[in-house]
Amino acid sequence: MFTSKLSRRNFMQQSALWASAFAAGGTLGVRSAMADRSKELNILCWEGYNSAQVLDPFRESSGATVKAESLTNDPTMINRLRAGEINVWDLINVNNPWAREVMWPEKLIKPLDRARFEPYYEKMLPAFKPPYKWALDGSGQELIGMAQRFGPYSFVVNTDKISKESAEDQGWDLWNDSANAGKYGILESDDWNVFNLCCIAGFDPFKEHSDDEVAKFTDAAKRVFKGAKLVGDIATMNQALVSGEIDFHMTGGTYSVSPARADGATNLRAITPKKGPMAGGKGGIAWIEITSVVNNPDVSPLAEQFLEYVQDPEMSHTVAFAEGTFNPVSQMGNPDCFKLFTKEELDAIQWDTLEEEMAASAEYDIVPDYDKLLDIMTSAKREASGG
Amino acid sequence: MAEISAHETVSGQLPAAKPAAWRLGPGRANAVPIILFLLIGFAAPLLAVIGYSFMPPRTFGLWQTPTLENYVSVFTGTSYISFLWSLGLGAATVLLLAVICYPVAYGLARVFGRWSTLLTLLFTIPLFVSENVRIYGWILFFIKNGVLLGTFKAWFGVEPESWLFTQGIIVLGMVYVYLPFMLFPMTLGVSMVPKETRDAAFDLGATRWQVFKEVDLPLSMPGIVIGFLLSFVLAVGAIAEAKVLGGQKVIPITHDIEIAFTYSQNWPLGSALAVLLMLVVGALVLLVLRRFDLDTILGRR
Repeated sequence: MFTSKLSRRNFMQQSALWASAFAAGGTLGVRSAMADRSKELNILCWEGYNSAQVLDPFRESSGATVKAESLTNDPTMINRLRAGEINVWDLINVNNPWAREVMWPEKLIKPLDRARFEPYYEKMLPAFKPPYKWALDGSGQELIGMAQRFGPYSFVVNTDKISKESAEDQGWDLWNDSANAGKYGILESDDWNVFNLCCIAGFDPFKEHSDDEVAKFTDAAKRVFKGAKLVGDIATMNQALVSGEIDFHMTGGTYSVSPARADGATNLRAITPKKGPMAGGKGGIAWIEITSVVNNPDVSPLAEQFLEYVQDPEMSHTVAFAEGTFNPVSQMGNPDCFKLFTKEELDAIQWDTLEEEMAASAEYDIVPDYDKLLDIMTSAKREASGG
Repeated sequence: MAEISAHETVSGQLPAAKPAAWRLGPGRANAVPIILFLLIGFAAPLLAVIGYSFMPPRTFGLWQTPTLENYVSVFTGTSYISFLWSLGLGAATVLLLAVICYPVAYGLARVFGRWSTLLTLLFTIPLFVSENVRIYGWILFFIKNGVLLGTFKAWFGVEPESWLFTQGIIVLGMVYVYLPFMLFPMTLGVSMVPKETRDAAFDLGATRWQVFKEVDLPLSMPGIVIGFLLSFVLAVGAIAEAKVLGGQKVIPITHDIEIAFTYSQNWPLGSALAVLLMLVVGALVLLVLRRFDLDTILGRR
């Protein structure tokens, strides 16, 4: 019997044998995986793309193992690639400027076949018609990703407390009115809060800032965090609005408020200020997600297939209303896709004013001195907690 | 018997074999796999964090010229506020837990009898539910128009101010979450006090207070100290209570570390904060252990 041969001395030999066999097996396993990734796909994304509603039909049709991990901020996802996970992921889904201005220059993503994918842009809403800026690299030559979900993202009010018109007119000055201290919340979306604080302080976030502007930003950050009733996640913000703990919150938009609106709280509404400090006097900020193929040396052939799969009208509608948050999709420009949206769904995503809100919004961009402003904001937040 | 003969057989096979100088003894040799496992799984990540804390701010490589810049910025900045909050909230939690748990532990060990099992189960069951879910449950309980204030409004027609998003509610959340970590070691400690010793003290004329002070407390100290250490270390590392219940009115140091690793993309700063937190907590724990030697109180020496 095997056990009878096991002595204290040969236990070590046996262990070594088993360990080396295991190691060899492991290495072989890795090699075989490297050789054939035709049946696996790894997606790093915002929530929704990782839902069973989106992934299961693809798993069934391709017979592949599809893994999707959702994170809720862009910098963390980019960091994962920078930290070496470029070998792990096949697709990455982040907001517009990151693909064009960060991941492409850093060679973290690959170009798409323009002849194969650009025709999809023809069927999208008018704002996405090719050549679409955020889908192209800086030179305008390479197609670097596909657009789908988007939305205005400035702030949300309870219209029972502040009317839509009043909120649109007052805009970011809502946070400059000392009478509003204790009436508002702040979504824990630190990158967007930096943009908003710039708008509250009265200047465009998406440019290099002067010392005077940085001083104004510091003052606004201290004041706004001091006056906040709470800082929290989307669910907490919606709950606080519904319960009456707060009257309005930043950052917010269709992305954050749509689940509450879909649940019947249509008195909560995403607001895009009518005027503001951004180019063209725009007061709102909007985001557009771009999904790109990761520059994985052994990228799955299913990556591009998946990008085509989510362009399908029915799947686009599923993506728009996947679990988590509900959002407009660029594919709503295709009548076959648009007709799938019910009246309630259109109301949840504020379709009635979507076009004008997007027109009144500047597109989300990289803030050149973001690090400095974020440090100031983090410190202001900490000081506000100091007493 | 079988063991002895097996040993003799092994010895008999190698009568004159002297272990080579490089060879480890069997005990150490057998410990090699677990040592390797601990080195890779436990020590390496810690070393990486320590290494990163000396890298230039906002960089991602581990092999650059070391710098003290991160530590300088921690000491010259406002991070001390977060440290003080974490330590203060942790200390408040532990003290409240001690006051709350000792009577309960005493009851579980001596008074409740067969009900103790059921009560222990009731204290344990919440541990099976995710901490975040339980904390969100408290939100629904305390929020304006929620379970508590909504009921108050419906029954009495008055609506008190919400207690959410305050420092007090954070402490309540932490006391609730970490209660089992104080209660169970403490119960063990209390049950370690021999009944005979207490009886003897009473027979010799000790008052209840004297028995508590001279017998119960010193003899149950192992459990109390372990409960203190466990709940303090966990409470200092708490983040969800301040984030969710506190509405981020308080930024504990763990939240600062999270911000550094995510939105700030400043791993070196996050690492420096993490190293300092480890040092502060480690020093405090060592301080306690110097006062109360675990081996002694556990009766090993």
